[in-house]
Amino acid sequence: MDLVKYLTFSMILFLLGIWGIFLNRKNILIMLMSIELMLLAVDLNFLVFSVYLDDMMGQLFALFVLTVAAAESAIGLAILVITFRIRGTIAVEFINCMKG
Amino acid sequence: MELELDLSFFYKTTILPECVLIFCLISILILDLILKIKDKNVFFFISLVSLLLSIFILIFQLKEEPVISFLGNFQADNFNKIFRIFIALCSILCIPLSIDFIKCTKLAITEFLIFLLTATIGGMFLCGANDLITIFVSLECLSLCSYLLSGYTKKDVRSNEAVMKYLLIGGTSSSILAYGFSWLYGLSGGEFQLQKIADGLVSTEMYNSFGSLLALVFIIVGIGFKLSLVPFHQWTPDVYEGSPTPVVAFLSVASKIAGLALLVRLFNIVFPFLPNQWHSLLEISAICSMILGNLVAITQTSMKRMLAYSSISQIGYLMIGLVTGNFDGYTSMIVYLLFYIFMNLGTFACIILFGLRTGTDNIRDYSGLILKDPLLTFSLALCLLSLGGIPPLSGFFGKLYLFWCAWKTGLYFLVFIGLFTSVISIYYYLKIIKLLITTENKEVTSYVQSYTVSSFSLLSKNSIEVSIIICVIASIFLGIFMNPIINILQINLHLNTFTNI
Repeated sequence: MDLVKYLTFSMILFLLGIWGIFLNRKNILIMLMSIELMLLAVDLNFLVFSVYLDDMMGQLFALFVLTVAAAESAIGLAILVITFRIRGTIAVEFINCMKG
Repeated sequence: MELELDLSFFYKTTILPECVLIFCLISILILDLILKIKDKNVFFFISLVSLLLSIFILIFQLKEEPVISFLGNFQADNFNKIFRIFIALCSILCIPLSIDFIKCTKLAITEFLIFLLTATIGGMFLCGANDLITIFVSLECLSLCSYLLSGYTKKDVRSNEAVMKYLLIGGTSSSILAYGFSWLYGLSGGEFQLQKIADGLVSTEMYNSFGSLLALVFIIVGIGFKLSLVPFHQWTPDVYEGSPTPVVAFLSVASKIAGLALLVRLFNIVFPFLPNQWHSLLEISAICSMILGNLVAITQTSMKRMLAYSSISQIGYLMIGLVTGNFDGYTSMIVYLLFYIFMNLGTFACIILFGLRTGTDNIRDYSGLILKDPLLTFSLALCLLSLGGIPPLSGFFGKLYLFWCAWKTGLYFLVFIGLFTSVISIYYYLKIIKLLITTENKEVTSYVQSYTVSSFSLLSKNSIEVSIIICVIASIFLGIFMNPIINILQINLHLNTFTNI
């Protein structure tokens, strides 16, 4: 198996996630999805190494990362609901009441 | 086969302090569910007692030999025991701060305590974690609880915005950290424990490759976001300004202590063969933190924002001890961390008290406070002076020892930057103190006029005042007793798990 191709693929996914967070500042949902994408790229990286090295621990770590990602997106969606209740919108450009 | 009662079941030498806290957490949950207690002060009492108990257990454990337990997942040596004591201490000092705040804002008390205790447990596990999975999961335990805490006043727009930013940045930083971990895992040939990763990197001859440098950079970025080091600090002022103040007090110390412990352990154990690279990266970010934190703090108008930038600069000072990198450097870092806990929590306690009685945290509104409450003014002034490093107070001695250790190792530039920026920091701390005690124009703001002082008798002190008094006394007198503290630390601190010291 060609390790480099798989690693490049997961790195591209990871960079796409970072790009989604830092450059696309339109929608909180998309930013949450980008965080998911980054964590899944990490998962993919672990799985690739785990298959390549024939070692179980990488798959275990991937499971833990999945669990944590689920918890994090649950909290994120909860905050999203509260934001919508208070403000009536989830567009990022209106979230700017603190500056300094 | 003989069955004996195995005392190691109680994890006497390893995680008993955390077990006490977990037991307390579960008992608070169950008691709150089944008993319908009206007087919620019982829960504060339970959690304070259990935190004190776990500190005592940790202090007694300092005599034990370092052990690695749970199949190598958890390491209990004296370095991380000291950090675990510090985190529990922060929690003890923060819980009294939050009692009155929660009562005034009429939020649920039990959930707040549970989040706070879970964050404490996560931080304590993070200090002792010895493999990548434990580090990642306990870090997330700490940070998920911090998100929930900082969005705790959910009807407040600013708190909501703060938690949104904190969640997005925190999630990004932990995924960056996990990406670095995945490279470590792959390059070391499938190892997970920190020591074995270092050995694995040597045996696969990957220790000096581009890949391990990449992992190092990703890990520095990930932890740098958690510690709010300078290129990664943008979230800090917003989160500090929006979140409820007791939560900010907790975050500003506990998450920094846990992050520092993680940084020191990870880099010393995993990257002993790249010391120049990570030392120079951390040195650059320390210099940037000190300069930018102190310069931007001058222009702030909100007290909490000012303290956010001040905490950025303080993390720069703490980094000096880490960059120094020898036994003295780590001792001075730990001593300054101890002083920093008291100084910073004392300042935050004063701000919480003022904020509760007037409902503002603007620096302007503090003017003439001395006419209304000399005691509070006095405590706030002392804590701020100690943060700035005015001679007889403990912040001065902490900084002096830190700079002296760095000077001995030859980090002259870093020490010069440190000295120069502490002079700047004294300027803006003194500006606030001048505002507090200025009485020339005889006109105080409407906020200070609406300020009501409770009775001054010793018995009716509320819990915030108790906490203020402890912090002020500690931040005045701890510096004078610095030699015994250093001696105790140097006797107890063994850094033999770090390979390059």
